[in-house]
Amino acid sequence: MSNVGELRDIVDWRNGRVASAIHFDEDLYRMEAERVFNRAWLVVGHEDMVRKPGDYITNYMGEVPVIVVRDAGGQIRVLVNKCSHRGNQVCLFDRGNVKGFTCSYHGWSFGLDGTLTGAPLEQMVYRGELDKVALGLEEVAHVANFHGLLFASFDPAAPALDEWLGEDVRWWLENFVLGGPVGGLEMLPGWHRYRSPGNWKLVSENFIGDSYHVYAATHISWLAMVQDFMGKGIRIPIITYPGTTDPPMYEGFAGSGRSAPLGMGMVVAGNDALYKRDLAEAQELGPEAVEWVEYRQRQLLEIAKDRELKPYSFMHGGLFPNLGLMGFFSPMIGRHFQSFHPRGPVEHECWQWTMVERDAPQAVKDLAVQRVYQGQHMAGVIAPDDVENFERMVEAGRARRNWDRPFHYGLQFGHEEEGPKGLPGNLGPTPSEGNQRRFYRFWLEMMERS
Amino acid sequence: MAVDWALKGELEDFLYREAHILDEHRLEDWLDLFTEDAEYLVPLREYLQGDVAPAGHPMIKDDKQMLTVRVRKDATGYSHVETPVSMTCHLISNVVADETDNPDEVNVRSAFTVRQARKLRDEAWWAGRRWDRLRRVDGGWKIARREVHLDATVLPRGIAIFF
Repeated sequence: MSNVGELRDIVDWRNGRVASAIHFDEDLYRMEAERVFNRAWLVVGHEDMVRKPGDYITNYMGEVPVIVVRDAGGQIRVLVNKCSHRGNQVCLFDRGNVKGFTCSYHGWSFGLDGTLTGAPLEQMVYRGELDKVALGLEEVAHVANFHGLLFASFDPAAPALDEWLGEDVRWWLENFVLGGPVGGLEMLPGWHRYRSPGNWKLVSENFIGDSYHVYAATHISWLAMVQDFMGKGIRIPIITYPGTTDPPMYEGFAGSGRSAPLGMGMVVAGNDALYKRDLAEAQELGPEAVEWVEYRQRQLLEIAKDRELKPYSFMHGGLFPNLGLMGFFSPMIGRHFQSFHPRGPVEHECWQWTMVERDAPQAVKDLAVQRVYQGQHMAGVIAPDDVENFERMVEAGRARRNWDRPFHYGLQFGHEEEGPKGLPGNLGPTPSEGNQRRFYRFWLEMMERS
Repeated sequence: MAVDWALKGELEDFLYREAHILDEHRLEDWLDLFTEDAEYLVPLREYLQGDVAPAGHPMIKDDKQMLTVRVRKDATGYSHVETPVSMTCHLISNVVADETDNPDEVNVRSAFTVRQARKLRDEAWWAGRRWDRLRRVDGGWKIARREVHLDATVLPRGIAIFF
């Protein structure tokens, strides 16, 4: 399908109906690369990944391989990993520290800022006429650092990042997702990556809004096991996971109009059950942990001091287009961020990394990290069950005949605003599919911009 | 120093029998092959260049209780990723065994290929090496520590089987 008018008919977010063609159609996939991934601000990493000059990580923006590097002057740049001479990759490692990048084909060398610094036999074969200034590595048009989270956009005409994110999104990202008031987050080195069937949007919409599956079928084997092991008094980190489905808890909506949607599922606000739970766990870990849990509670109350409702934590979230955010209710578990990179219409790669609150005592950090890789991780007991669903959806939906009947996004339809007021954005009842509707609304808008 | 041929044969037999237990999906029996203080570790594999910090955490670092959690999760009958159960074939090879400072423990290295198949077409090939510390317990052998080096920087699928 390459007819945008037709797209509007099948992406009927207003009525909570979206045809599954958008997860299978190759023409749409190609259009999406141009109109979404080549234009959006994409998260490419965290500043902790490139602390020193020469530090780099490799990553992707859509299907484009990029190098995120801190240059000799300390500036973070995002370079397309493709030699300007014959298009070869110039960096082959996942991360490292180097003085520059050299192509393996003809040996062109590039500095950390992407500048072409040398070409073999230059004087003899180019006779001093090689325009080295014009032949650096392609630098991604815009790079911005938002409280440590690194964003980049290929689009020369992209709005400023602050505008793309919008005020509400920035408030939630800074204060809750990135832990600004409690000292920020510290990143643990290493990408944890797996391939998976399923269009990247299936997993992005799951993170941005699908709390329903948390309440319902997907993770019941884990939840059953938690009950079983708790009953036997076995209290290992995966069993004593923070969590609740007790109200009050809300769906969080931020971003509207031209700014990218941020969705958060199961936002705990005006509810001190999780704080009390964390305090009790801290008591088992020692006085330093107790002091820290109390300290961060004071900080959180401070930023909400003029607001009636006091938010504490969130369960899951997503930032358009392809960033997943796991908060899991509590600082007693590491936060895990993940990019869902498109790999063709029916496949994606998940690139995950782990973060902990920087000011947390070591005992908390150790526990928090274990919970990440035991749970919502490719080798944990939570994420593989999600992935299985996407695999089954591909099998069920691959046939062209099955693309037309729309998926149903009807949860809390028309009730999105029925939550307490007083915080940036909007809180509504949970579980909801309101954030998925907003995700497809924004996706459609980007697809319609020629 | 390498163990003698008779002991090497005994250790190989242990690993081959373990492979059959896994492929026959007798996971409770498999748990019995581990000592109570066992550690099961799967480090993250990455390509690193120059002076950078190692990975902040592995993919898996289980004690016996966590391994038990994984097995019992599938036994609930609601574990979607293992419904239906994967067909696996563990091929174990390149076994070498060395003595350690402890007369009751040996270091056994081996290589493996595992093919995982599910449903109609889901398939993953896994290959890598295992570094095992085996301990003599009541005349038999148990796994006191296993380190699994999977040869993949991007996994072909999530891990819900055992190596």
